[in-house]
Amino acid sequence: MLIYTARRLILFLPIAIGIVAVTFAIMQLLPGDPAAVLLGEDASEEGVRDIRQALGLDQPWWIRLGTYYFDLLHGDMGVSYFQNQPVVDAIGQRLVPTLEVAIVALLISIVIGIVFGVVAAVRRGTPIDAFCMLFAQLGVSMPVFWFGILLMYLFAIQLDMLPSIGRGPPLVPALGRALMGNPGDLGLALMHIAMPALTLGLTNAAVISRLVRSSMLETLGQDYIRTARAKGLAPTRIVLVHSLRNAMLTVVSVMGLRFGALLGGAVLTESIFGWPGLGQLAVAAISQRDIPLIQGVVLTFALAFALVNVLVDLLYAVIDPRIRYE
Amino acid sequence: MKMVKLLCVLAAGALLATSNASAQNIRLGADVDAGTLDPRVMRDTTAYRVVNLLYDGLVQLDASLQPSPNLAESWSNPEPTMWIFNLRDGVKFHDGSSLDAGDVVFTFETILDPELKARFRSLFTPIETIEAVDDLTVRITLKEPYAPLLSYLDMGIVPSDYVEGGGDLSSNPVGTGQMQLASWERGSRIVLEPYGDHWSGQTPANGFEFVVVGDNTARAQAFEAGDLEIIQSPLSPQDIGRLVGDDRFQNAIMGGLGITYLNINVSDPLLADPQLRRALSMLVDQETIVGQIYEGVDQVATSILLPSSWAYDASITQPTFDPEGASSAFAAAGWTDTDGNGILDRDGQDLELTLSTHSEDPNRIQALEYIQFLMQENGVNASISISDWPAFSAGVRVGEHQIALLGWLNIVDPDRLMYAQFHSSGTLNWGGYANAEVDQLLDTGRASIDVDDRIAAYQAAAGMIADELPYFVIAYQGYQVFYSGDISLVPDARGMMRSAARN
Repeated sequence: MLIYTARRLILFLPIAIGIVAVTFAIMQLLPGDPAAVLLGEDASEEGVRDIRQALGLDQPWWIRLGTYYFDLLHGDMGVSYFQNQPVVDAIGQRLVPTLEVAIVALLISIVIGIVFGVVAAVRRGTPIDAFCMLFAQLGVSMPVFWFGILLMYLFAIQLDMLPSIGRGPPLVPALGRALMGNPGDLGLALMHIAMPALTLGLTNAAVISRLVRSSMLETLGQDYIRTARAKGLAPTRIVLVHSLRNAMLTVVSVMGLRFGALLGGAVLTESIFGWPGLGQLAVAAISQRDIPLIQGVVLTFALAFALVNVLVDLLYAVIDPRIRYE
Repeated sequence: MKMVKLLCVLAAGALLATSNASAQNIRLGADVDAGTLDPRVMRDTTAYRVVNLLYDGLVQLDASLQPSPNLAESWSNPEPTMWIFNLRDGVKFHDGSSLDAGDVVFTFETILDPELKARFRSLFTPIETIEAVDDLTVRITLKEPYAPLLSYLDMGIVPSDYVEGGGDLSSNPVGTGQMQLASWERGSRIVLEPYGDHWSGQTPANGFEFVVVGDNTARAQAFEAGDLEIIQSPLSPQDIGRLVGDDRFQNAIMGGLGITYLNINVSDPLLADPQLRRALSMLVDQETIVGQIYEGVDQVATSILLPSSWAYDASITQPTFDPEGASSAFAAAGWTDTDGNGILDRDGQDLELTLSTHSEDPNRIQALEYIQFLMQENGVNASISISDWPAFSAGVRVGEHQIALLGWLNIVDPDRLMYAQFHSSGTLNWGGYANAEVDQLLDTGRASIDVDDRIAAYQAAAGMIADELPYFVIAYQGYQVFYSGDISLVPDARGMMRSAARN
């Protein structure tokens, strides 16, 4: 399995080269000049020319692309035109907050998705099933930005239960302190992350609950489940151990793909809840044609997505021991 | 009347500011994070507002945009091309070092160096040399007389030793301002604390926290939830209506320092005809755009001169909304509907135009769509082109547009809005407007030190521009601030807290 993992990770290299080339090509084709945006509305021709030279934008494209690859191989993603700081630092500061929200949202969506999916499958055809599927329908159809504003209106303005904006203490260290017996920071961190993660997570939970329901219905109709029932096993054990475990394979494979959607959704959620993540950085970078920063953010998203999908592949083997990777 | 209202609001703001300002910790909503906290290279509104508290300039602009002493205690202008500034003694930077003339020289010399990529470099290019006469005296020699210079010298002065020693002002700013940086969580919040050794002995508040919330409605909701004390333009019109009706909050609308305008490309073969430009201008319903789309925060514009400017003259006016008048003006320019297809034509060619703007501002898109509707109703086959700012501005910059809707900000001097835009050699004259008389007037306005001469020159030029219409100014941009009832410090018309605190 180690060899398999290493091979998968090495495969990321050509993917990264391709991603850089495609992003670079898109930025080349898009109208708009970073030097002009940098100088603002009152930029003069001479000023724009000077800045283009200072940024190296007057060089032919193959030289710029080659230089970027060369620097990238040396661990240098360049300097952001607008943030005046190395791209690596800009991304480093924002990556953890985005991952925090994406992972908590994923956890929320898995828990809610599985509970709703299982209940709907077991109670198929009842009002409970209808309620669960209505939830799924609503979750899939609700735009993230609208749902976020609604949550904020309810929990921050009307009920005054949660802070409307901002990030609390970093989650992982707060969790560590809580384990050492000091749970104050964790409570604060969770209160801040609750709404952004719910906004993202509930939409995702809706998708997962539909999937779980259909896989569960399929497994519940299998011969081995009938055998288990005939043996007199407890219904809970049949559902959770025998049926759900088999239904999980589908869910796990979709989870990897949904992680990409969560990272994408972060762009909107972060701007609503003032969350200092990569999404806001990406939007600003694109609207400013900050090429090194766009390249960096796209690569980071791609890397995170690829890693999660490798993890998902490894999870298959855990869920189904018959699966082996050579 | 509006001027009186504006002055009342500003005076009230200043009064409030002096009453109980220093006892508070104020959280302000910001739409974007600051890109940098180095005043020489700042680009976004948040950076302007934060830098305004962290640094002092040689001068400070008061509520009526007149320069008043700041780091420079006094100045003189012995020759039209020479300015001498006498610095305040005993001023210290946040790192404890003393301010001297060398720091002022360093600040402007680095701004003028293209390598620094300073956005405001072009404002200072008329400077020939800047030198330290002694520790507390700075001499600026200009290539030619340049009256607006003083209005631009509120640029924050940076410590040369700190920067040359490798200090990074972008993320670790060191100024002489009343506040200093306490912490900066990128993308989320910038926290400022009082600087105890400020030369004025005053601090505007116990602390400021600029909190970044990109979404306008979410920012308004955070304010309603009590997580912010001040929110300010840009705000969504639909939120403004709700907040105005909430008696927990106070608000002030002030005349801002920006315009929203139509750039009519005079080098376009069709639009080169001033009669056609006049007819089209009569189809812009400014009252509805300002009242309905901008919810009355902006004001209907009458000319290129801002009402808050010393050069303003209410008697200079552009054409106003008049569809019937437009119809006669079209006919006078030779455009009539001869083939009965509902579209005006001349020499067998229909009157077709493209209106363009950028996608980031929904109000501008709505205004442009309304103008398109009015034009179509009146026989002009107008289409719309919307793209994001970099793409849109790239097109306008090379004069590819026909009629573009956009804006100018920070017009602290009429020169800032007129010289580069309307002088035939102007760097921002994208439509290639050329009028020798206007050129001469703008040269006079820029070179003359006498305010009356400048007023006369700018008013004459504004009259010609209102007549020939290379620009049709739709609105004077307003600036709106909401603050919770217990706040006693309100920003000035540029969203700045420093001048509000000291006026």
